[in-house]
Parts: sequence; structure tokens; C-alpha cells
Amino acid sequence: MMGDKVEPRIGVFVCHCGHNIAGVVDVAAVAKMAMSLPYVVFSTDYMFMCADAGQQLIRDKIKELNLNRVVVASCSPRMHEPTFRRVVEESGLNRYLFDQVNLREQVSWCHMRQPKEATEKAMDLVRMSVARAAQLQSLPIKSVNVTPRTLVVGGGIAGLRASLDIAERGFEVVLVERLPELGGHVRKWTHLFPADESGAQIIGPLVKDVEKHRSIKVMQNSEVVEFGGYVGNFTAKIKNHETGRTKSVDVGAVIMATGFEPFRPFGYYGYGESPDIITLAELQELPPRADLLRPSDGKKVNKLAFIGCVGSREAGKQGHEHCSRHCCSAVAKAASDLKDKVGEVMILYQDIRTYGRGHEELYRLARSKFVIYSRFPKDSKPDVQVTANGITMRWYDVLSGDYLEFEPDLLVLASAMVPPGDIAETAKMFGLTRSADGFFNPEHIKLAPLTTHTAGVMIAGAAQAAKNASESVVDASGAAAKAVSLMARGQVEIESTVSHVIPELCSSCRTCVTACPYGAISMDKSREPAVALVTEAKCHGCGTCAAACPSNAIIMYHSTDDQIMAMVEAFLCTPAQVEGGTA
Amino acid sequence: MPARTKSQKQATATKKVSQNALVVGGGVAGMQAALDIANQGFKVYLVEKSPSIGGRMAMLDKTFPTLDCSACILTPRLSEVARHPGIKLLTYSDLESVSGKAGSFRVRVIKRARYVKEELCAGCGECSKECPVEVPNEFDWGLGFRKAIYVGFPQSTPSTYTIDMESCIKCKRCERACERKAIDLEMEDERLEFDVGAIIIATGYRLFDVARYYRLGYGRIPDVIHAMEYERLINAAGPTHGHLVRLSDGRIPQSIGFVQCVGARDVTKDVPYCSRVCCMYGIKNAVMAKEHNPDADATIYYADIRAFGKGFEEFYEMARSRFGVKFFRGRAAEVRRDSRTGKLVVRVEDTEKAQPQDVEHDMIVICPGIQPPEDLAKIVEKMGISVTTDGYVDVANRYFGPVDTKVPGIFVCGCADGPKDIPDSVTEGSAAAMKATIILSGGGAA
Amino acid sequence: MSQSQNETVVPEHWEPRILAYCCNWCSYAGADLAGTSRIQYPPNARILRVNCTGRIDPEFILAALEMGADGVLVSGCHPGDCHYTSGNLKLRARWALLEKVIEQSGVDPRRVRLQWASASEAQIFADGVKELTEQVRKIGPIRSEWK
Repeated sequence: MMGDKVEPRIGVFVCHCGHNIAGVVDVAAVAKMAMSLPYVVFSTDYMFMCADAGQQLIRDKIKELNLNRVVVASCSPRMHEPTFRRVVEESGLNRYLFDQVNLREQVSWCHMRQPKEATEKAMDLVRMSVARAAQLQSLPIKSVNVTPRTLVVGGGIAGLRASLDIAERGFEVVLVERLPELGGHVRKWTHLFPADESGAQIIGPLVKDVEKHRSIKVMQNSEVVEFGGYVGNFTAKIKNHETGRTKSVDVGAVIMATGFEPFRPFGYYGYGESPDIITLAELQELPPRADLLRPSDGKKVNKLAFIGCVGSREAGKQGHEHCSRHCCSAVAKAASDLKDKVGEVMILYQDIRTYGRGHEELYRLARSKFVIYSRFPKDSKPDVQVTANGITMRWYDVLSGDYLEFEPDLLVLASAMVPPGDIAETAKMFGLTRSADGFFNPEHIKLAPLTTHTAGVMIAGAAQAAKNASESVVDASGAAAKAVSLMARGQVEIESTVSHVIPELCSSCRTCVTACPYGAISMDKSREPAVALVTEAKCHGCGTCAAACPSNAIIMYHSTDDQIMAMVEAFLCTPAQVEGGTA
Repeated sequence: MPARTKSQKQATATKKVSQNALVVGGGVAGMQAALDIANQGFKVYLVEKSPSIGGRMAMLDKTFPTLDCSACILTPRLSEVARHPGIKLLTYSDLESVSGKAGSFRVRVIKRARYVKEELCAGCGECSKECPVEVPNEFDWGLGFRKAIYVGFPQSTPSTYTIDMESCIKCKRCERACERKAIDLEMEDERLEFDVGAIIIATGYRLFDVARYYRLGYGRIPDVIHAMEYERLINAAGPTHGHLVRLSDGRIPQSIGFVQCVGARDVTKDVPYCSRVCCMYGIKNAVMAKEHNPDADATIYYADIRAFGKGFEEFYEMARSRFGVKFFRGRAAEVRRDSRTGKLVVRVEDTEKAQPQDVEHDMIVICPGIQPPEDLAKIVEKMGISVTTDGYVDVANRYFGPVDTKVPGIFVCGCADGPKDIPDSVTEGSAAAMKATIILSGGGAA
Repeated sequence: MSQSQNETVVPEHWEPRILAYCCNWCSYAGADLAGTSRIQYPPNARILRVNCTGRIDPEFILAALEMGADGVLVSGCHPGDCHYTSGNLKLRARWALLEKVIEQSGVDPRRVRLQWASASEAQIFADGVKELTEQVRKIGPIRSEWK
């Protein structure tokens, strides 16, 4: 874009990452090889490129040697590209003149027992990156205003909390809830295990505060049907199912609080075969009564049983491999509460995961009330038979080494938390990815658990993973902080990696117009003949148009044909065949 | 400055709310809180008692459940905090007193003399090379050595060196070695005073002292180490440069036993609660043992495997099925050394077979639980907050104020209110920041 | 198929050279996850990151084969999961044509592989590299095929 007519002067920095890379790849040899590549004027290896001293080394060398391109061969750019872009920028270099080679996730960690081959691969990748670097061009740094309004999707406990925090901080919120009533699952739960309170006691005040807050616009019976735009400037079309009317709102940030669905475990332990086999969620919804009554005939329950991990922790079964986190503590609380109302309580489990504060105490309390815990093996699940006489459970008890039998009046299945049935469509609409558990994927599972790879879209509560109500509340406040950070700054930088049509080469065939998934390309009628024109604000930078254009009239910035082909050539044409260096 | 509505400006004006916040503790939770406040345009004082921010996470080698290396994901965070124009880092500093109330607290901090001028030190390390005094490095849990003028670890932030005056012999070699004249042996503690509108407690945790379980042999039997020592042992920047060896004889252990739930879920040791992280770091450490030496045996002695977080169960399954980590259900009762073979022997009841067994290993890693830091009670007392019987800060309400303390304007995150893993600590850091900024902006229901 | 596998003389120590185009959002992330999960797979592939598989011009693949790549892998988001809504579908549409062109030029179409691997499907990504590598190893070096 900007004329970088000056000859490239490339610096290559190969990172040891402690032993992570250097333990497998011969980093010194890689750095030495890089020195022989075209336009490379400096190359070295270093313990930690991302540490302050490593960053300083880059800055120093840019200054000292007048480097105008920087290649860092270290970890995945998905982790540290922003770090190093900032480093080169601090030295006055445009951030797009940086390129990163992934020697850790894609070399040393996946070829740990093949140091020689790993080193060869590392050399090829560095060669490719250097070739690309020579072709890199500066791009303008663009920032856009942020609409000071946040869209919260989902009016459960997480959505309510997030809305309230943002509003109290002084920004506007649009809260969309699909159902006629706010409050999500928690509202329905007469017993919010492991809490003492009922769901209504917790949801009631929140709903009241949300409804009366002037900065929160609540849209019930409504769903987002269309979503577009980019960080700071999203537009959502929201449809009201009652009126059929659609409303369009502009927002700067989005919080996904779309929650979970309690798994209905048909095919497990006789679920669906007897009204006296229910899920933990269904138990939580039973009306509060002095006695625990059996759903089939209203008789008092004397023998109560729970089975844990129903539809959770099933290795190899997609969407059910995860632990549902909330159930162990909820079961411990339910069992110890209900033990006062029934004769016997039996809990069949694999591991007891009462991890939360005060939860281990609930487990101890249950035991002290003579609730019986019996561990069954992972590979031999309990057998449940439903007959005219009732329910019979038979299982192998690990600790006694015996087969045991129990005939409960009521059997409660602690079934999994799974994503809502339509999460795939939601993910698609908002451009989110999902992890193996089916829930949304955070930007980084440890250090960025609330943001996503789509800038400006946050996730909170059970939308992110199985978790309990109090944990969802914490998530919600955290995600609200992220949304507020965006809005409070008022401006946000966006990527300049968009496509551009060279009018002189355009043959007006309109292929790109139909190829663009965002409708970002239109025909510029002010020209004769009309040629394609990219509306940059609408372009997301996928490059589909550039690949489709039969006239090579479209440049995809930062991913140009030249840049890609330079890499292919650097890999496949041996160094001897590549044109000589600059020196 | 943050964008604000007209009504807010008025509220701020009438209430005289300070636009600054204080975060006590520079670990992963405190850093997150500081960033999320500063990113909204407010000023944050981040007080950390040790010479560098980064907290416990900086000591870890890899992290579960992704096996990311800790330094790799933490380092950018460290520099982000250090470079943030809205964050004033006060390392090697202690909170002295707090007065006032939400919106206008008066805070006094003592910045201890590090005898090296922060503004001049470039972190080049020339001083340290010259220093003749070697003492055990706290950062390596005493397994490695540092000089009397030192940084704990390579990514130390700030990179300023610190002189440990208790070990310093005042030979002044460092003074001569420093080209930038950054060393000032006459430096005195500094007292700072400032106003803040909100305070966040992020003081982290300490490890349970595993020597309290006499029968497990820690401190008595060589090659019985605890998990944090193991972290340093397998870390490339640690005392053995990342070589997993026995400290007694330098040999590579062919069999390692990991003993879980030591100082957790034990009423008799006053730690009735679950520490939440030990199962997962135990599994991670066992996987790392396999990574260092695929032929080695790695066995975990456990009561329940608590793989409850996102991706945790999947990681547990992977450790079992793909890495071949062995899981042995039973609490280890005793560790002894067989004087004939030199092997370490774990006495454990296999609860799945109801039989006591003796299992031999070359190295035992004890996996301690988490406790509140020793000075937590003292620190929060200055703010008018008391700790509960378990020693942690209590939260106002699990559902309405999960990061609020019982004093308005003071919030808590990370392990200060109970054991927590990294993602949960980070999330709480953000949540506490949200609550603090509601106060700073003059908003809220109050 | 038109390849002349039986005439191929496989040089000693020959290792297939494979170029892998991965989209940034799914497959590149899946490859990263393979690394963090320490899944081991053949070191023959060199990954070239593009924003979206929709960015891939068939020319990029043909040129790679011409320059001597023994195999080309394209790995993207599952249909319907594209970060850019539908870029991967555009590529899929081009793919049928591409396979024809490859075949007509005398190159064994089994040298190219299109696969979908999401950000969480590290194993699928690694298996894809492994399968293509093994397949290409059987077919032999590409140099023998260009006419």
C-alpha cells in the first residue's frame, strides 16, 4: 500500500523458549542458516524472545542495523504476534513489517523425538518467513469509534448480572432474551443446590434491578436473527417473536450469555421409562414441600438414589467428554437436605468433586447424616431395571469389591450440562468457535477466558463451559469489564488486512461481488465501465474475492499472491536455486 | 479518560470520588484486575511485596490443561502491565495503612529500599556477575542459588536488580561494575501516600508446609520433594536447567510417585477444604515426567480426581490413555527409604482392592494444598476486614457480591478468598475490576 | 487414474515434501493444539497460514506441485463453521475443478487432500498430515510425474 521501495533489511530472531524449542530444534543452526538468506542482515538465537530483554534486543537491532523487517521464530503467532508487533512499532517500524514463525506448537512440540527432522522443518519455515518478510508492506493503522452500547444475549443469571454492571458503570445495554421471562434456568429452580436459597430469591432482585434501570433495554420474546459488523461497530437485527417485528440495534460490544441446556439422558439408566427416574435439574424444579413425593403416585419417598456423571465424562463421546462441574456439590447438598425427609439416600459416583468453597463441608455433612456414597468403576456403569414393582439398581461397588443392589423409590440422575441445541447456529452467526465440550471457545483458556477470537465478542457463564450459578455471576462481571474497557476508551484499532480492487485490471465480471460473504464489494458506477469497489469497513479480510478474481485485479493486503508464492518458492526451490543475497 | 455521561460527571463532582484504584498483589489475578481498570482510563497503583510481579504463576513450568509453558503466556502479561501508562507499579512494597471509605480511601505504602535505582537500572546483570555472595534463591525454593544482588528469574518485571541487605557484605563490587551508577547502598525505605476510590485484594496463596506430615518424609528423606520444587526442577530457567534429575545423586528417576491431597481435605490439619488445583497440577507434572522421559513410570496416588474445569477432564483422560500416567486410588500413608535398595517406598492402601501395598519409586513428589498467605489477616485487618476460620477473606454474598468484601469499596479476587486455578483467578480479577470501576465512575446503586 | 506408479524410482532417503495451507481460525489453531497436546505426527508438512481457505487460489496448489511439492494439504473449518461464514464453501466449489486439472496434467490427484479440522480437532489435523504423508510416500516423488 505505502511504497516500501527501500531494499529489505531483515533481522531474524530465533527463540529457545527455554527448552521448549531448543530442547528439540538446533536453534543455533537455524539462526546460522537464516544469515545466508536473501536480505537478512542479522540473525541470532536467544533464550526468551518475549521477555523484556528479548524485546529490547529486537529494538536495539532495529535501531543499530536499520532493520526494516523483523522475523521472530518462536511460538504460535496466535499467542505472541501482538507482543512482537508492538515491539517493532515501538522502534518506529510498521506492525505489518513483522512476521512470526511457529517453531514451538508446530515443530518442537509435535516432533519431540525427531530433532534432525524438526530442525530441517524449522529451517524451511524460517526460509519461508524470510521470503514473505521481503515482500511485506506497511499498512495504515486504523482506528474506529466504539458505539457506547453493549448487546447482551441471554437473560439468565449471567446476562442479568453483566447488564446490570455495565449499566451501573454508565453505559447502555440491550438485553435480548428468547423467552417471555427473564431469569433463565435459575428462576425455575425451587432449590438452587448447593445454595440454601431458591432460584427465585436470587433471580428476583436481579430482574427487578435490570427492569427498572433506565440504561438497560430489555427485549423479551426476542432473538438475534442477523449479526454483522466488527469490533466497536456491530449491528444486530433482533426479531420479536410475538409481534414479528424486527429491530436493528448498533452496539460496540457483545456479551454472549446463552447458557446451557440440562441434558435429557434418554437411553441412560432407564430415564424416560419411569416417572420416578428424573434428572437433577428436574429435582431442582420440584415444588417445595414438607415431604419428598414420588412423581408416579405421590407417595412419600423412603429410598432415594442419585447417580453421578450421567452424560458427562464419557471419553470418546463427542460433547459428553467434559465434567459438568456443578453436579457433585449440588448432589451433596441435595442429599444432605433430603436425608432429613427420607429414610435412605444412596449416591453412586466415580469421583467426588466438591471443590468449591464450603462444598467439601457439604459432602462431609452428607456423610455425617449417613448418606451412603458408593463408587462404581468407570468402565462398568450401574445397571438400572424398571419393572412393575419399581426400580432396581445393581452395580459393582469398588470399595467393597462386591455387587450391590438398591431399590429406590426415586432415582435422580445428575445429568450433564450441555450447550443449547442451536449453539452451532449461534456460533456461526457471531463468528465464534467451539471447544470439544461444545461450548464457546475462549480466546485463551487460561489467561483470556472471557474474550473470544472475534474481537468485541465476550462469553460469560455456562456459554463458556459447564459451571454453577455463582461462578456464572463472576464470569458476567468479568465479561462486563471487557465490554466496558472497549466502550470507555471510545476508540479501537482494527486490522488493516482488507482487500483492494485495482480498477485498471477489473474486468467488471462481478465474480467478487458474489464471492464476498459480507456484501462488502459493490460495483462503482461512477466509473465507466463500472468496476468493483471494496467497502473497507465491511471487509473482514478473508481473501475469498482475491482467490476468485479471474483477472488478478484484487490485492488481499498482508496476504498477497506475491507473499504467498514467495513462501511456496522458498520451501520448494532449494536455497541454491533462489536468487542470491543482497550483500 | 473514560467516556462518561453528564449525570455521572455530576455524581462524581458531588461525591468527590477518587479516580484511582489500589490493587494489592501482583500475581495473575491482581495483574488482570489492574489491567481491566487501567484499560478503562483510570489510574491503578499495583502494590507487590516481592521484587517482581508475576506471583506464583511465574514459578510454574507448564500449566494445565493445555501444557502451555507458563513463562510463555505470562511474560506478555508482565510487560503489558509494566508498560501500561495507567498502572503505577510499586514492587518490593508493603501496604502500611488504609483509612477512609469507598470512593475516598487514604493509602500509605512503604516502598522498601532495594538499593538499586529503578529509573537507572537497565537489568544488564553486570553487578550480579561481580557479586561474591551466593545464597539460596527463594524463587527456586532454595534449590538453586542467587547472588546478594539479584533478580529472581529472567523475566523479572521490573527488570531492576535488588540487593538483599541481609546477605550483602558491602564489598561494593557491584557499585563499581554498574556503568549506569544505579546502585545506591545508602538508599532508604520510602513512604508513599495517595488516595484511591476502590481497593482490590489479590494477595494469593502460600503452599501448605508438607513437613507437617512427618510420615511422608519431606525434609527427612532425600528425593522426597514438593510440587513447587518439582516445577523449578523441570524448568529450563531453573536450578538444573530443566533436567529432571534426583538432587541426591544426579540420576534420572525412572519412576516417580505423585502424592495428592497433602494438606487439603484434611480436618486434622485444619485444612478441611479442597485446594482445587492439586489434582490437575499433579496430572500435569506426571505428564511432564513422561515428556522428559517417556520410559519413566509416573504414578499418581489420589482420593478423587477433581478435573472439573474447562478442558480438565479431557486432559485427565489424555494423561491416562495417551501418556500412560498411572492412577492409583489411595491416600499414601507413609514414605520410607529402603536402606538396602536405596529405593523410596510408598505405603498405600489400594482402596479399589482394599489391600495395603508397598510401591517403589526413585522420586516422590508431594502435592501440597493451598493456604492463605501468612500475612493475609494482617493486611486485611488494616482495611477493617477480618478473615474467616479457614483463614481466607469472606465474600459478601456468593450470588450478589461474589467479589465484594464486607467493606464497601473493597473487593477481592484470586486465591485471597479461597483456592483457585489460573482461569478462575483471572476471571475474578476482571470481575473485581468491574466492581471497582463502578465505584470510580461514581455509578452503582449506592 | 493416469499415474505411472510402477515406473517410479524412489530415491534412497527420499522424504515426501508437503505443503499445508491452513486457515487461521480452525486448522492452524488445531495444529497449535496438536502441539500443546504433544500429539506427534510426521515432520514432512510445512504449514502456510492463510486467513481463510477461501483465500486459496487453485493456482497456489498447482504452482506448489509444479515447484516440486510431493503433496499439498488444505485444511479449513468445517462447512458451516467458517469464521468468514462461507469462505471454505467457495474453496470446496473450486476443489472439484482443481482435481480435474491435476488429473489432466498427469499428476496423481491423491497428492492433494482437502480436510476439515476445527480448532479443537488436533488429532484430526495430525492424522490428516500423517495420512497424506503416508499416501504420498507410496506414490513416490512428484518429479517422476510431470510430463
